[in-house]
Amino acid sequence: MSLFQQWAFLVKEALDKSFLVAKFFCAVHVTNTYLGSTAVVYGPSMLPTFSLNNDLVLLERISTRNGKAGTGDVVVLQSPENPRKFVTKRITGMEGDKITYIVDPKNSDKTETVIVPKGHVWVQGDNVYNSYDSRNFGPVPYGLLKGKIFWKIWPTSAFGSIGRRPETVDPALKDLEQANQS
Amino acid sequence: MMKQLFGKWSAIAKESIDRAAIVAKLLCLLHVTNTYIFSPTLVYGPSMLPTLNLTGDVVLSEYVSHRLGKVGPGDVVLVQSPENPRKMITKRVVAMEGDAVSYLVDPSRSDRSRTIVVPKGHVWNQGDNIYASNDSRNFGPIPYGLIQGKVRCRVWPLDGFGSL
Repeated sequence: MSLFQQWAFLVKEALDKSFLVAKFFCAVHVTNTYLGSTAVVYGPSMLPTFSLNNDLVLLERISTRNGKAGTGDVVVLQSPENPRKFVTKRITGMEGDKITYIVDPKNSDKTETVIVPKGHVWVQGDNVYNSYDSRNFGPVPYGLLKGKIFWKIWPTSAFGSIGRRPETVDPALKDLEQANQS
Repeated sequence: MMKQLFGKWSAIAKESIDRAAIVAKLLCLLHVTNTYIFSPTLVYGPSMLPTLNLTGDVVLSEYVSHRLGKVGPGDVVLVQSPENPRKMITKRVVAMEGDAVSYLVDPSRSDRSRTIVVPKGHVWNQGDNIYASNDSRNFGPIPYGLIQGKVRCRVWPLDGFGSL
């Protein structure tokens, strides 16, 4: 084979292999955007449901796209104050609900009541003492909800589904608590 | 005899799967382009007169700028309505976060105006036809994250062809 033919053969092989890689990344991207993906959540605002850092969770993108996310669901949403940031909070009210919340639980008992406007949801972190949520930035348009977290993968001691009510005990310590009580 | 029939059937099945794969790849490419690069969009309604027609225009909108943060005042954008997440509306961005916006509250009835500072992470949009537009004067500043694309030019009707 002449030099040119050899070179053309190599180029064709390289193109074929890169198409295969591109198709793989395409499939991964489609799954992550339309079906579900994993995510690392960190921060104190969802204690004790999620620990302070490096919790790996599974989130699905079908419920939020179809309007099926409701009260009690833990969701990932685009922050209304910084569109490049994604935050994890729990929906505590849908449009039309009347929400009574404690404005600043660390400092006072003052409460406020709002009605969630049409097309919006009210989100709060499970750890109301250290959470920057709808009590600060107001109700969030439903269109900013990007996914629903339904399963926790890591740490393995807390492996399991995420329920519709905030946990009252750190799930990783649940066995210890039960052993202490008995 | 059976073997021959089976051979023919499997050849047909293989060919149809190959052709279906080509069609699937084409649809995939079309979908990726329409979602992430640009696509034609039909827009209608009175709120952007006289820029856009009442009965519908086909415009070319691109989906790259808003991801890079390049949307600014004066751009006509497609946003997800904050009142109904299934609806997409077309309005013009008037002010970005931190700007003070003075607007006429209800121009068909009075000359009353209000001034508001756009909060962090939000934009203020208004339709070009302020007499018949449900926009930020009604539902307030909207988070930047609701912007889905930027309208670049009109392709139909042909006598209105060109950038807006």
